[in-house]
Amino acid sequence: MIVPEKTRGIPLADPLTKKFPKIPGLKWTLLIIPAAYVLILLGISLVGLLKLSIVDESGITLKYISRFLTEKVYIDVLLITFKIALYVTFFCLLLGYPVAYALTKIENTHWRNAIFGIILVSFWISLLVRTFTWMVLLRSNGVINDLLMMVGIIDEPIKLLYNTTGIVVGMTHILLPYMILSLYSVMVGIDSRLMQAAQGLGARPWKAFIQIFFPLSIPGVLSGSLIVFVLGIGYFITPALLGGPENLMISQLIHDQVNIVLNWNFAAAIAIILLVFTSIFLCISALIAKNYSALGGGN
Amino acid sequence: MKKLFFIIITIFSLVLAACSTNSAGEGTGGSTEAGKEQLVVVDWGGAITEAHKKAIFEPFEKEFGVKIVVNSPTDYGKFKAMVESGNVEWDVVNVDSDFVIRGGKEGLLEQLDYEVINEEGVMEQLVNEYGIGAELYNVAISYNTDNYSEENHPRNWQEFWDTEKFPGARTLWKYPTGTFEAALLADGVKPENLYPLDIDRALESLDKIKDDVSVWWTTGAQPPQLLASGEVQLAAAWNGRVISAQKEGAPEDVEYNQALILADSWVVPKGTSNKDLAMKFINFAVQKKQQAEFSKLIPYAPVNEDALDLLDEKTLSELGQMGKNAENQVVVDLEWWVENFDTVNERFQEWLLK
Repeated sequence: MIVPEKTRGIPLADPLTKKFPKIPGLKWTLLIIPAAYVLILLGISLVGLLKLSIVDESGITLKYISRFLTEKVYIDVLLITFKIALYVTFFCLLLGYPVAYALTKIENTHWRNAIFGIILVSFWISLLVRTFTWMVLLRSNGVINDLLMMVGIIDEPIKLLYNTTGIVVGMTHILLPYMILSLYSVMVGIDSRLMQAAQGLGARPWKAFIQIFFPLSIPGVLSGSLIVFVLGIGYFITPALLGGPENLMISQLIHDQVNIVLNWNFAAAIAIILLVFTSIFLCISALIAKNYSALGGGN
Repeated sequence: MKKLFFIIITIFSLVLAACSTNSAGEGTGGSTEAGKEQLVVVDWGGAITEAHKKAIFEPFEKEFGVKIVVNSPTDYGKFKAMVESGNVEWDVVNVDSDFVIRGGKEGLLEQLDYEVINEEGVMEQLVNEYGIGAELYNVAISYNTDNYSEENHPRNWQEFWDTEKFPGARTLWKYPTGTFEAALLADGVKPENLYPLDIDRALESLDKIKDDVSVWWTTGAQPPQLLASGEVQLAAAWNGRVISAQKEGAPEDVEYNQALILADSWVVPKGTSNKDLAMKFINFAVQKKQQAEFSKLIPYAPVNEDALDLLDEKTLSELGQMGKNAENQVVVDLEWWVENFDTVNERFQEWLLK
């Protein structure tokens, strides 16, 4: 077991309990307030949602859930949702990994702060603003098409908006900070002396990277991908504005059922199905993570 | 352990207290404040609210000595939640007319009191047990005036579908109501034979134009913006939005021939504490004077046909209510849509995903 030279992520509980040792049950209180908040508010509404999906005026029924699972169009929507979320996860990883890696390597604090600043500022700007910005950039007479035509790469505008490209570009931009921050939090804890040791034993830098650094960064890859994927399947505004008719995502379907069609039973059924699938994905990734550490890939 | 129990109880009671004060606060929406009666009116927001305010709300406040609180936009999900939880904050709501029938069936609406409401002059199709027309709008052929001119543009849905004679990207409403009527008219169905709609034929007709529809719009603000930015050259759009954009200098115009007429209606949510005043308000809103004032401010036509006499020719032509135009407009049959919306919408969504 190697102890990193700089212990990042010092547990907060220590100084706190030292400072307030006399307050009994402080730890419990700190845990219970948020837990109760989540349990009461989320739990009650989830039970209500579940009830709505299987109970209507005529009693208990599975017709809403079976309607979703038997109509091809709804299954298609579910698959499209997963497909887009997967694309977005892939591109976030592709773009986020080098950035996070660079952040751990940069020694100059000014540079590092500047890069963090850019990531966080884009994180804080309203989602709607960023989505509209992409509309201006991507449309057929927008900045990107004009630029490409001016340079002469293309002769006529290419369609970047109101299709899968538009959604994936917009969502990747919006979800990228989540990926970078989760990757960074893991990478920064990897002891850089391990790489030096590997190179000292004769490994070339890229081999040291692939055999040592990358496997150690897998927990970050998994957690980042999971956050991006799960947030991605629930996206509403960005796909609604940047997507085309072939990109109907499941949250838009739920919105239509709640606010336009007013079929709340069906909306609840869709939401429950989405919840079930999301839980399955979470379990799978938890299993992968467990197996991974069991194989000794972790510390 | 006792302490733990105590903490949980405290949190529970705090949450409950927060919920109950919240609902108590909201429940007073309709009652008196500083001695003046209040009426909460909900509409769609933006330009239409401004027009409602000047033409209807402010004169009503003056005449009846009450205060109107405007809330927007209309949200059917919220509407249903309020009525079902018995916590009704809204007194009068401006809705799409199909909601009058749907909401009535679901038990969300109060019956209108036609002892109080004088429906004289209001279009018959829009006088209903649970709601009465508020204003008309239409889904009309709209075009970018840089690409097409007043002399040369599609004048009916058949020409709108003719992508050789009138090339260019189009945008259509991502909603079956109106869009299916346009598709059938484009395929040569006579307006009087539209209903019941032939869904298969409508979808086949839509197949022909699908490649040229670059955007399927979902909110009324999109088509004028798409036309103005040159993203599309032709649109099936809400006329009022396009005319408003035109007044602000956007290069676009509306062709009223074969415009598909839809309407907004006033309804009263079930369980409101202000039912009597709400009925008085609705009566006031549908009278010809208020209706005419409203149409002068925004290009949506009155539901009260007597109001047309109070409007000058320029306004009438902006409303698409001049001579030949008015005759060739098609009134969308909302009763048919209420019965068939779910099935047709499912087919439409399936078709869009293909």
